[in-house]
Amino acid sequence: MKTAFDKVSVFLVKVLTLFSLLLLSFIIIFIFKEGYTFFKEVPILKFITGTTWNPTGDPKKLSIFNIILGTLYVSIVAIVIALPIGIGCALLLSGYVKERPRLIIRGFIDIIAGIPSVIFGFIGLMVLVKFFEKAFGFASGESVLAGGILLAIMVLPYIISTCDETMDKLYRAYSPVAQAMGISKIYILRTIVLPQSLRGIAAAAVLAFGRAMGETMAVMMVIGNAPIMPKLLGKCQTIPSLIALEMGMAEVGSLHYHALFAAGFVLMAILLILNIALYYVKRSLDR
Amino acid sequence: MKRVWSIIICLSLIFAMVLTGCTSQGADVQTNSNKENETNNEFKAEMTFNGSSTLAPVITAIATEFIEENTTWDKVDSSFPDKYISIYVSAGGSGAGVKAVIEGTADFGMLAREVKSEELEKIGDAKVYKLGVDALTISINPENPLAQLRDNLTTEEVKKIFAGEYKYWDELDSSLPHREIVVVIRDLSGGAHEVFQKSVMGDTQIRPDAIQSPSMGALVTKIIENKDAIGYASYGMVNQNKGKLMPLKVDGVEPTEQTIVDGSYKISRPLIVVKRGELTAPQKAFMDVVMSEKGAEVIEEMGFVPVK
Repeated sequence: MKTAFDKVSVFLVKVLTLFSLLLLSFIIIFIFKEGYTFFKEVPILKFITGTTWNPTGDPKKLSIFNIILGTLYVSIVAIVIALPIGIGCALLLSGYVKERPRLIIRGFIDIIAGIPSVIFGFIGLMVLVKFFEKAFGFASGESVLAGGILLAIMVLPYIISTCDETMDKLYRAYSPVAQAMGISKIYILRTIVLPQSLRGIAAAAVLAFGRAMGETMAVMMVIGNAPIMPKLLGKCQTIPSLIALEMGMAEVGSLHYHALFAAGFVLMAILLILNIALYYVKRSLDR
Repeated sequence: MKRVWSIIICLSLIFAMVLTGCTSQGADVQTNSNKENETNNEFKAEMTFNGSSTLAPVITAIATEFIEENTTWDKVDSSFPDKYISIYVSAGGSGAGVKAVIEGTADFGMLAREVKSEELEKIGDAKVYKLGVDALTISINPENPLAQLRDNLTTEEVKKIFAGEYKYWDELDSSLPHREIVVVIRDLSGGAHEVFQKSVMGDTQIRPDAIQSPSMGALVTKIIENKDAIGYASYGMVNQNKGKLMPLKVDGVEPTEQTIVDGSYKISRPLIVVKRGELTAPQKAFMDVVMSEKGAEVIEEMGFVPVK
């Protein structure tokens, strides 16, 4: 009786897995198919390296170099801000905090990951952007930096939890010996735990980078959405915000419509490469 | 051996699923065509609207009132069966509205712009209902020194500001401070921008570093928050935020209900509902309410100018 039930569950699990794989391949095929119509008319190299995005002009100019740069720039700024904070936090959690409070603090940090992104966007628009205008006298506070700071807060939980996992393991392995030898905590953390967990940190950075690149709503509200060459204190446009902003209005089947799918395809390709990189980083981590 | 079997079973199951998908779809198409043949006999208790986020709240408000008043169709007209009324409204932009009608995923499309002729062609037997007009006002923050100086801009000046020829306020008028002009627009392919481009900019391109707001609400917020901002806020939004925004005259014409309806204020866009084919009886009953005095009242309440 039990074995029959087992067989059925194994079978069910297999079907469900296959179904999710089919779903993924369907999405990729669909995006590629819609984008392919565009690539037939505009060569992919021109699409990626051209700098003008003007879907309403005549002739339409549909190139996303500035937008790809904007996407990468905002995400890099976010990682540069979030990584030191995240590493510091993870070091403290694994070395100095006892088990129970550590779990509670981790719980609170994970709540950050659960806040809807539109709320982050709203706070960014009302507080961050306004602060830039008031404090630094910018004409408009919408900027790469504003987007970067906002994204840094949003990816922080991912960085902390990934780093903490590695560091906690290392600290537990070394601390009894180190304590027996009378070495201070900070010395172990600095000389053993931190250098040993570099790969874990790299994995966290890649994971957070992927998250940051795909974020749409919060970023859209604070970067100004101008498809120009991005500068740290200037406006920019990211691929997800471009798609979200224009998809509803693009005429179905038009070149513009297919160009948005093509942009989505480029984003997916970048994310795929990142995830493959993450896989290799993780694999070398396990060795 | 076991593994091979399970793979075979899995594959056959997937295959079966795909096949079932095919047959049921085929059946669907059939029933659809049957339905079209005998629309008069079958009563459809629900209708769907999709499209412009400007028009969606209007239709939602009218629909809510309509449903609350009648609940079931037989109260609307005694010849209808006593089925519950359901009207679904979803917003996704004017383009999505037309798409929904073309693809048949919604009964009605809502547009905040004229229907393009190629779109009419794609729909085929299209019926167009004009409900009202939404005007875009050239608005600034009331704390902007320009507000004290003058209340009028010429089309040429508006064009130069939005094209980026005037980068600082003192280039518009030398008595204004040397501060950067912050231009706020909606997304370039949206209905609102299309109206602005057509009626003001012509062939001139908008400056590439203008802030593209994801919604009209965000655009208005930006103008309220930033003293140097200028943007095209919709007439309805200005009415809802009286005192926080200052609409300017364009070529001496103030945006008022009268000037918008008679067309002398030129930056405006129509609010339109499109439908493929004839209205069914319940659809007609609802559209009659939308086009009535009561519908016009709701449109006015929402800050638009109804077409009489």
